[in-house]
Amino acid sequence: MTVADVVDRLGLAVLTNESDLGREVTGGVASDLLSYVLGTGAPGQIWVTVQHHTNVVAVAQVAGLAAVLLADGRMPDEAARTRAASEGVILLQSDERAFDLAGRLYRLLAEPR
Amino acid sequence: MSPRRIVREARARHIDFIAVTDHNSAAMTEIVAEAASEAGLAFLYGLELQTREEVHLLAYFDEQRPCAEFSDTVYALLPDRPNEPAYFGDQVWVDIDETILGYEPKLLVNSLDLGFDEAVRLVRAYGGLAVPAHVDRETYGLIAQLGFVPAGLTFDLVETVSGVLPDGFGTAVPVCSSDAHQPGHIGRRTTVFEMNECTVEEMVLAARGVDGRTVACCLDERRTK
Repeated sequence: MTVADVVDRLGLAVLTNESDLGREVTGGVASDLLSYVLGTGAPGQIWVTVQHHTNVVAVAQVAGLAAVLLADGRMPDEAARTRAASEGVILLQSDERAFDLAGRLYRLLAEPR
Repeated sequence: MSPRRIVREARARHIDFIAVTDHNSAAMTEIVAEAASEAGLAFLYGLELQTREEVHLLAYFDEQRPCAEFSDTVYALLPDRPNEPAYFGDQVWVDIDETILGYEPKLLVNSLDLGFDEAVRLVRAYGGLAVPAHVDRETYGLIAQLGFVPAGLTFDLVETVSGVLPDGFGTAVPVCSSDAHQPGHIGRRTTVFEMNECTVEEMVLAARGVDGRTVACCLDERRTK
């Protein structure tokens, strides 16, 4: 499943370049502690969080995550969006709560191919 | 904590320079400053901010007025959720004789609607000293919450529990403070500054080692004898 599939199925907004969405999604991580994601996040995961500090972009890049999904209508500032664009980090967004998004993402990834 | 008790505990532990940094409020600093002055203790006004990312940031001021103005500004960024005394205890305002003057209605342990980077800039805009708090702790510290020091931010002094700075703080110098939430905590960690007077500016000069000034963490609990 690609990021584009997840965007489509969960009805997410894409805050960065739409052309990058072919990345494969292998799982997810849910935490608002950046140090935790830095320590345990793995390539291919979508990170569900309400944190939108610029450091989120760097953590996603270092951990090789497939995308960051900002929950509950959280909006990154201009600096974070610019940084994401230049580092090739995909920022997604939804008004749904983190719990609901994580649950829907989990179900989606568990579907038989 | 009672203003005179804070000062008494500090004196008993041979501390001669203190700051009061309540969570998201400087409402009690003026009274403790008065008690400190009575006892001949040097004092800084301050707050411990909790930013949107749940990072704790200490803000220190030499003077009451800019600190109070800063406190008013951040108080407006605190959610309206009321305190729950049964769980968090009463948030009292007292006078120097410990007479209760009133109760802080908002829950002060909440996070401000203010990002960490903006908070640092705001402290500095009001003439304060911004010191990230307990950066080596797993909870509410800058590194735990945000992974690493945000690009473009530098500090002269950074508070630690261990006396050792994590990587990424550049030329900053570690300090230790008691982070006292009750009188028995006062003096459990201290910092020895060698400097000309007890001001924010001198603390910065000490951090930079200007003209022989020094800063050293002291991890041995200060005893009363």
